[in-house]
Amino acid sequence: MVGAKSIAFLCVGLGIKFLLWPAYHSTDFEVHRNWLAITNSLPLSKWYFEDGSEWTLDYPPFFAWLEWVLSLAARWWDPRIVQLDNLGYAARSCVEFQRLTVILSELVLFAALGRFVKASGGTRQSQIAAGLTFLSPGFLFVDHVHFQYNGFLFGILVYSLAFAMEGRDLLAGTMFAVLLCFKHIFVYIAPAYFIYLVLNYCSVFRPRRRQPVSGCALDAGASAWRLAKLGTAVVVVFAVAFGPFAALGQLPQLASRLFPFKRGLCHAYWAPNFWALYAFADRLLILASRFMPALGSARIDLSGLAASTRGLVGDTSFAVLPDIPPIATFIATLVAQIPAYAVLVRSKNKKQRGHQRFIQAVVLCAYASYMFGWHVHEKAILLILVPLGLLTAKPTPGTLRMFAMLSTAGYYSLFPLLFGTQELLIKAAVLLIWVLCALALLKSDRGVSAWRCLLRAERLYVLGHIPLFVATELLPSCAFGRLQFLPLALVSVYTALGVTYSWLGLVYEFAL
Amino acid sequence: ENAQAIALPVTLLFALLVRWCVALHGYSGHGSPPLYGDFEAQGHWMELTVHLSPSKWYFYDLSYWGLDYPPLTAFQSWACGWVAHLIEPSWVALDQSRGIETHMSKLFMRCTVIVLEALVYVPAVVLLFKSRHLQANWIVRQASIFSILLQPCLILIDHGHFQYNSVMLGFLLWTVYFAAREQYLVMAACFCCSLMFKQMALYFAPAVFAFLLAKCFRSPYGVRLFVQLGLVVIGTFGVMVLPWMGSSAQLQQILVRVFPVARGLYEDKVANVWCAVNVAVKLRSMFSAPVLLRLAAVATSIAFAPSCIHLFLAVKRSVAGQALVAADAVKLLCYALVNCSLAFFLFSFQVHEKSILLPLAPALLLIHEEPWAVNWFVQVALFSLYPLLFKDGLQIPYWVMAIGWSMLRSCPACPADKRTPLAVLNAQWMSTLVMVAIHAANMLVPPPPSLPDLYVVLNVLFSCAMFVLFFAYFNYRQLTLALVRVRATRSKKKDN
Repeated sequence: MVGAKSIAFLCVGLGIKFLLWPAYHSTDFEVHRNWLAITNSLPLSKWYFEDGSEWTLDYPPFFAWLEWVLSLAARWWDPRIVQLDNLGYAARSCVEFQRLTVILSELVLFAALGRFVKASGGTRQSQIAAGLTFLSPGFLFVDHVHFQYNGFLFGILVYSLAFAMEGRDLLAGTMFAVLLCFKHIFVYIAPAYFIYLVLNYCSVFRPRRRQPVSGCALDAGASAWRLAKLGTAVVVVFAVAFGPFAALGQLPQLASRLFPFKRGLCHAYWAPNFWALYAFADRLLILASRFMPALGSARIDLSGLAASTRGLVGDTSFAVLPDIPPIATFIATLVAQIPAYAVLVRSKNKKQRGHQRFIQAVVLCAYASYMFGWHVHEKAILLILVPLGLLTAKPTPGTLRMFAMLSTAGYYSLFPLLFGTQELLIKAAVLLIWVLCALALLKSDRGVSAWRCLLRAERLYVLGHIPLFVATELLPSCAFGRLQFLPLALVSVYTALGVTYSWLGLVYEFAL
Repeated sequence: ENAQAIALPVTLLFALLVRWCVALHGYSGHGSPPLYGDFEAQGHWMELTVHLSPSKWYFYDLSYWGLDYPPLTAFQSWACGWVAHLIEPSWVALDQSRGIETHMSKLFMRCTVIVLEALVYVPAVVLLFKSRHLQANWIVRQASIFSILLQPCLILIDHGHFQYNSVMLGFLLWTVYFAAREQYLVMAACFCCSLMFKQMALYFAPAVFAFLLAKCFRSPYGVRLFVQLGLVVIGTFGVMVLPWMGSSAQLQQILVRVFPVARGLYEDKVANVWCAVNVAVKLRSMFSAPVLLRLAAVATSIAFAPSCIHLFLAVKRSVAGQALVAADAVKLLCYALVNCSLAFFLFSFQVHEKSILLPLAPALLLIHEEPWAVNWFVQVALFSLYPLLFKDGLQIPYWVMAIGWSMLRSCPACPADKRTPLAVLNAQWMSTLVMVAIHAANMLVPPPPSLPDLYVVLNVLFSCAMFVLFFAYFNYRQLTLALVRVRATRSKKKDN
């Protein structure tokens, strides 16, 4: 089942991940340490109420249970890790323990990708795609340096998608429900799941008894039974997760923790989505208005001049363009997800490629939420790239081109997460290696490599990341003078161009 | 062929990534005043070369890391110090920068090692393997380059413990490269640079000398070549010691610093015959230092004599007017370099465990001819370095690189000698078991109070035994090497 080659591959990955232990880790490290302490030291009823530290528990219950299990091991490893008041504890034993838990939990992803390769028929390309996903810069930067548990969570997602590829839809749906109870950000792709399961699993077609030639009719009984099974499974999962808290009457508290809406439209660093381009356009117009006073001298909101990307997380207000309330992002996201729904609805009769269409829909749903969502983190690019990576097992040239563009831009947009000088070489080398391998080794279904598929302009864009790197990371900060926000804004806007282009390309490719 | 196009860039990038990741970990003397370690020594030399005139370099404050490498190291320290001064003067402020250990200063020092290695060592490796073994397919050649660049010992010592061995070894590889191209003058110049960087390169000197001497005898213009070589050597040395030319006291001081004969037979525990013998027979208390010095010299000479004499004779000899083809001569040179340096390592005076890097470098050039032997040699060498790495807090990189190296050499792209006898395979497995057992015992069982260095001593005894076996094996291989003789074009022209 697990070949020698994949073991060797796993060991290479593990080797690099172990070597990265002394690298920079962000406040997320303290967040998770705090959660280990909370779940270990306090009874269940206090988990979502504890706010001794600013890093309160804001993931759904299954993740809290995971932290509890880990905290038992942590207590054995070094009891000071789970002390509640030991804020900011980052001794070597703590770093080693937590990094080790990330590495071990990522084995779930490895196993899931193994299953995916099997479900794809074990082709060489699917192995390459799985390998590129497992060792993607996204996981290395975000999980193993910055510190998070995405590998584990995406492992569950890949398992769910692999089950769908094998045709075991009920299991896929249940796994997705489990995933939602680990991290609720995956709710963005829930519509794709819902529509797919309803159309694929819950709709059972039987040939017409009297006119078998004229097609199939919906078997209401069997469909209802399946719907009931699916519904029960999902309800059971949620009950197991939220039940104890519902019994304690803590659901409103959970809701306020899981869905904090007080933050601004853009993160301190603009994730390269539509709103980044919007904010940039706003700034350009501010600049232009100095030369064209007639443009909006009366309307310029002076508070907008000082806002956004001053490093603080607050409400983003714009000076020239209209402000964006949360409801507008919600509507925009829903509208942008329509192509995803179209992909699924139109494929309901094409059973063979059903799961391919399903993954495409997942990608488009995730993409829409990334492009138009409220307070999107740049880390959310993983939600698009992982399913899209699965599609590169057997891609059309268009898909491959968009994958190349998006992965380069998307992984590059993670660079500001690792801002230290020490990590400069690591991020550059990792991304270069990955991009070289992806462009050379991935081939379209016609056997043309990814680099050859790219159009000339697209190749220029991909290569353009190198001067961008030199300009934003290697030039000393004094070169920018008063425009200290310029490097981050440049990265944001340049990668946003690629991300938007890929989005339009994928919509064209999948939905039209 | 896409994979072929990206193979070399990916190899280089990956090698760079691994080095930088190892560099994130600890280094020699981290956080341990008053003297710290090699890291501080190198930093101190940067400071004193930048601020003082050359006449003071070998005299200044000798008790705190006095300069004890030849002039090329001093010039390299000066260059790095000058760059450091441009970036942040406090790193190399005279006397005030002692023990400075800031985040950025550490990054700067790590960068200097990587840059110097990229300039000297890496191109030599790539060029050597691009031009040899053209009959093997590109995957095998690329795997060899990959293996050499990811050799654990050099990475852990240079980028972990902190040293600049890759410059000295790089110059040695250039020496071999120019030998392959039959450009003997450049070859001699490169070897002089290697020697002038670290005096440990003397371990190779007999072999190189024998090779060049033989070429002088072989070549029809031998006397001219000999004179030219002599001039090149004298010229290179002269250029290097130019700042100190005027004063013989200065030159004498350099010699005194570079060859500290006042020190003992060995320092600390090293996988050397003398140290191993000393476990049972206390040589240091039985004999006086001058006697031991002579003993070591005689033993070393006896040890390297066979391989160097064989090299000389083989390169010089011509059978029926045919000379040795360049590729074979170079192969023989590599064997001789391994044997010579291993002889010095085992029997010489004041050997450091880091010196195992010297036999390793030419051995890795033979990775095609001796796949399992070189693989095994690297493993044991890495094992012998463990006590040093443990002191620097480099256990995690050690384990990662040790396991990584084993996996690398067992992957299909690396040529496993199909004719490896089963006995050898079993022996290799057993040696791995012994190494793992010693590690496990070290971690689980505390040593008895009467023998606090038990595990280090076990390490030394095992490594020394293995090195002696490797020494015997490589000598055997050199002496029985089947050589292909091809009519050299020059002698052909001469006959016609």
